[in-house]
Amino acid sequence: MSGWRTTIRLRFRALIQRRAFDRDLEDEIGFHLAMRERKQRNSGLGAEDAHYATIRRFGNVTLWKEDTREMWTFTTFETLWQDVCFAVRTLRKSPAFLTVVVFSLALGIGANSTIFSVLNAVLYRPLPYREPGRLMTIEETEAGRQNSGEPPAIADGADWRKQSHVFEDIALTSFTEPTSLAGDGGAEQARAQFVTPNFFHLMGASPMFGRIFTASEAQDLTQTVVISSPFWKRRFNGDPKVLGKTFKVSGVLSTVVGVMPPSLGSFYGGPLDMWVPIDAESARYSERKDHWLIAIGRLRPGATQSQAQIEMNVIAHRLEQAYPATNKGVRVRVMPLHEALYEGAGRYLYPLLGAVVCVLMIACVNAANLLQARTETRRTEFAVRASLGAGRRRLMRQLLIESGVLGLAGGMLGIGLTFAGIRLFLAVAMDFTEGDRVTLDIRVLLFTLAVSLATALLVGSAPAFQAARTDLNLALREGERRTTAGKGGRRTRHVLAVAEIALAMVLLVGAGLMINSVLRLQQVNPGFDPTHVMNFDLSLSEGEPYVVRVPGGDIERATPLVTAFYRRLLDKVAAIPGVESAGMITPYGFGYSFSVLGRPAPPPDKMPRTGFREISPSLFRALKIRLKKGRYLSGADLPGAPWAAVVNETFVRRYFPHEDPIGQRLVLRFIDLDQKQPRQIVGVVGDVKWYLPEREPDPIVYTSYLQQDSDYRGGGILSHLAQTLMVRSVPGLGNREADLTKEVKKAVAELDPDQPVTNMMTMEQSLARSIGDAQFYARLLEIFAAIALLLAAIGIYGSMSYFVTERTHEIGIRVALGAQRRSILGLVAGLGLKLSLMGVAIGVALAVGLTRVIAQFLFGVTATDPATFAEVGLGLLGIGVLACYIPARRATRVDPMVALRHE
Amino acid sequence: MKDKNPGELLRDTLDMLVLKTLTRGPRHGYAIAEFIEETTGDVLRVEEGALYPALHRLELRGLVAAEWGVSENNRRARYYKLTAAGRKQLSEESARWDRMTSAVARIMEA
Repeated sequence: MSGWRTTIRLRFRALIQRRAFDRDLEDEIGFHLAMRERKQRNSGLGAEDAHYATIRRFGNVTLWKEDTREMWTFTTFETLWQDVCFAVRTLRKSPAFLTVVVFSLALGIGANSTIFSVLNAVLYRPLPYREPGRLMTIEETEAGRQNSGEPPAIADGADWRKQSHVFEDIALTSFTEPTSLAGDGGAEQARAQFVTPNFFHLMGASPMFGRIFTASEAQDLTQTVVISSPFWKRRFNGDPKVLGKTFKVSGVLSTVVGVMPPSLGSFYGGPLDMWVPIDAESARYSERKDHWLIAIGRLRPGATQSQAQIEMNVIAHRLEQAYPATNKGVRVRVMPLHEALYEGAGRYLYPLLGAVVCVLMIACVNAANLLQARTETRRTEFAVRASLGAGRRRLMRQLLIESGVLGLAGGMLGIGLTFAGIRLFLAVAMDFTEGDRVTLDIRVLLFTLAVSLATALLVGSAPAFQAARTDLNLALREGERRTTAGKGGRRTRHVLAVAEIALAMVLLVGAGLMINSVLRLQQVNPGFDPTHVMNFDLSLSEGEPYVVRVPGGDIERATPLVTAFYRRLLDKVAAIPGVESAGMITPYGFGYSFSVLGRPAPPPDKMPRTGFREISPSLFRALKIRLKKGRYLSGADLPGAPWAAVVNETFVRRYFPHEDPIGQRLVLRFIDLDQKQPRQIVGVVGDVKWYLPEREPDPIVYTSYLQQDSDYRGGGILSHLAQTLMVRSVPGLGNREADLTKEVKKAVAELDPDQPVTNMMTMEQSLARSIGDAQFYARLLEIFAAIALLLAAIGIYGSMSYFVTERTHEIGIRVALGAQRRSILGLVAGLGLKLSLMGVAIGVALAVGLTRVIAQFLFGVTATDPATFAEVGLGLLGIGVLACYIPARRATRVDPMVALRHE
Repeated sequence: MKDKNPGELLRDTLDMLVLKTLTRGPRHGYAIAEFIEETTGDVLRVEEGALYPALHRLELRGLVAAEWGVSENNRRARYYKLTAAGRKQLSEESARWDRMTSAVARIMEA
C-alpha cells in the first residue's frame, strides 16, 4: 500500500510550492463561495443578503482554510520554524543585546571547545593501535613500597610472558631514547625505541615493506632495525631499496630490515626514527636490575583487567620465591595502557577545563542577566500576547527558542574561535608533542553543539518560567504607568551580577597566583652565573670504540678513549677565540647511595642516598659556582691520585651537620655496585638549581671524569657517556651563538666525525625551559582571566545601566524634589559597590576552595596567598565601580521633565 | 482499532458520504456539498466549509485524486474523483455502516 508514500510526496510538494498551494486553496474555496452566492441570488436574495447567507452556510472561511491547510503541513515543524523566524526577527531588533550575548557565549563556548579539543586528542581518542582496549601495562612496585610504580626488570618481563595465560602476549618497550647514529649520511642523534621482537605484532602494526624482527634478533655486535616512515624519507629520501642498508646505532652495526607506515609513531607523538630489538632473555639482563623497559600486554579476548591482576599476583609471588635477592616484596600492578600513558596529562589538563567551565559560567550568567532584563521590559508584550490567546507553553517555548537561537549563534561563532583557540593553545604550549593531533573533529563539534544547547537552556529557562507566570492584570496595568520592575526580577539580576563577579574572582586569583609564581621563579638565584654560557649535548656511542662488553654478564667497560676524547675536546673548546672557559657535566644521576668510612655501615636498603654528577674540574670556575669550603676539583686529581669528591651545601647540611665534611671518605655505590675506591671530600660548593622550580635542592656529590671506574652495569655507562658541554664566552662579544656552535661542532668532528652534537641552547634558554610549565599555565590562565574580567565588567555595566533606566522616573522625581547630583551618584555607585563587594566576598570563599587544584604548579606562593587575594579583590572592586561610572553619570544628568514623562 | 470519540465518528461519516457521492463520477467541492444537502435534506446539516478539510484529508490518504478542471460556467474548479483505494475503503466503510445500523435498528425495535 503506497498510501503513506502519496502522503509524504503530496506534503512535500505543499511544503515546497507553498505559495502555489495557498493560491489554489484560495481559488477552490472562492469557487465554492461564488457558486453558492449565485444560487442564493437566483433564489431571490439581494446581493448583501446572498453574501451573508453564503458565509453562514460555509462557516468561518479563514478557519476552514486554516484547517484545510493544516492537513498538508507538518504542523509542529512549521510553528517551530515560525517561532525561530520570529525569534531571529525580534533579536535583530536589538543588535546591541544580540552582539553582547552572542559574543559572550561564543567566548565561553570557544574556550571550552578549545580545551576539549586538547583533552579529546590526549585523553578521549582511543590509542592508535589494534583493539587498544585490550592493551594493558604491567608495572612492578618497588620492594616494600606498595604505591610506587616502575618498569619491571627486563628478565621479569620475559618470565611474565612465559607464565601468563590471561595475556595473549607481553612485549617490552622503551619510550623514545636518544641514541647516536653514524654511517653514510653523517653522524646525528637519532631517536630510537627499544622493543622486544613481538612488539609490532602485539600493537597490531605491520611494516609498509620489509619485515619485522624475528625472535631474539638482537646481538651484541650486530643487529637489525626497523625504521620509521619519516626517518626513511629524511635519511634515505624514500629510497625503495633501503632494505639491507647499514649504519651504526650506538656503535652497533645495524641493518635495516623493514619500514613502518606513518601510522605507527612514538607514544607521545614526538619524532621517532627507528625501533631497535632487545632480547629480553639475554644473559645480559639476568641480574634483574634493569628497570627501563615498560611491559605492555594484550589481554585474550574476553579476559578482564582484574583476571590479569589476579594471575600476575600469582606469577609475582612465584618470582619472589625464585629470586628473593631482587624480587622480595615486589608486587605487580596491571592497568590499561591508555590510563598509564595519560594519567599525568589529565592532572595537567583538567584544571584548565575547570577554568574554561568557569569562563563559560560567567558568559552564561552574563547572557542570563541581559536576557532577564529584556524579559522584564517585554512583560507588557507577553501579557498582550497571553491575553490574545497565546498559551503559556507557547510563550515559554518562544522564549526558549530565542535563547536557543542565541546559544546556537554563540556556538557557531565559538567554533570559529576554537580554530583560533587551538592555534593559540599550541603557540603557548610550545613543546606540546601531540600538537598535530589536536583537531576539530566530529566529537569536538558534537561537544560544542551540546554545550551550546545546554547553555541556551541554562540561560533561557529562568526568563521563560517568569514569562509564563506573568500576571496579566498587573503587567497590563504596569504598561500604562511604568514604575520600577517587580522585586523578584531585580533580585534575580543582582544575584546574577554577584555570581559573575564571584566567578571572575576565582579565575583572577588563579591567574594571579600563577603570575606571582612565574615572577618568583624568574627571580630564583640558580647558584651560578648563567649569562654568556652556551650548552651543547653530546653522547658518545655505547659501542666500539668507546665501550666494550665484558663477556658473561651485564657489565660494560669504557675504553681509555672516552677520557681521552673529553680531555682533548675541552682543550680544543677552551682554545676557541672568544671562549673564556669550558666545562662538562653529566646528567643528574639517580640511584646512588653511599656509606661513610669510619661509620658503621647501614644495611644496603637503608643506605643514605645522594645525587651524583660527573664533571670536568673546570666546570665550577666556568659556571662561577661558589666555593664554600676546601677546594675545587683540579686537573691534578688524576686516576693515580687519591679519588676526590666535592659536595654541595645540602649534602653537608643533611649528612655532616655537626662535623667538618672536609677529609671525610665516602664509598659510593651505584645500582648495588660499590665504586672501586673511596673518595675523600675536598671541598664544599653552593647549591645549584639547574631546574628552577626545584624546591629543596638534593644532596649532590661531584666527581671528576678522570677518576671513574671503567665498568658499569645495567646501562649505567650512559652516565659516563652523556655529557653537557658548557661554554662561557668572553662578555661583550655580542650575539655569537651561531659562530660558537659552528666552532664546537668542528672541534667535535675533528675528534670523531661520527659524533653528533645536539640541543644547542643558551643557559638562559635552558633555565627558562625549566619554568615552562608554570609559564604555560600562567599564560593560559591570564587569557581566561582576561576574558572573565571583560565579561564580568560587561555584566556589571549592563546591570547598572538597566538599574538606571528602570529608575529614570524615580530619579527624575528625586531631582525635581531637589536631590543633589552627588546623592544620585551615590545611589547608583553604592549599589554597584555593594554588589561588587558581595561578589568579591563569595569569590574569595570559592577561590580558597578551588585554587588547590593548581597548587602543584605554584612556586613561592601558597594557594591561598593573602597578597594575591587582596590585589585581585581590590582590582575587581575597582573595575566594578568603574563599570558603574557611565550609568551613574547618566543618572545624574536625568532631566526631571523628561524623566517624569518617561513612558 | 482504537476507540473513536464522537467527533471522529462524525468525521468518518462525512468522509464516507463524500466517497459515496464520488461513486457517481468526478465532482468539485460545491457539487459534492449540493448533492449531500439535497439528498439528506436538512438532517445532516454541517457547515459547508468542513467539506474542504475532509476532501484534502482524503486526498492525502490517497482515497481520492484531485485535478483542476473547468466548471459548467467556465470557471477553474478542483475536481475530485475516487481512486481504487478509495473504492475499497468505501466498501469496507459501508459494510461496517450496514452492520452498525442494523445492530442499532435491532435494539431500537426490540
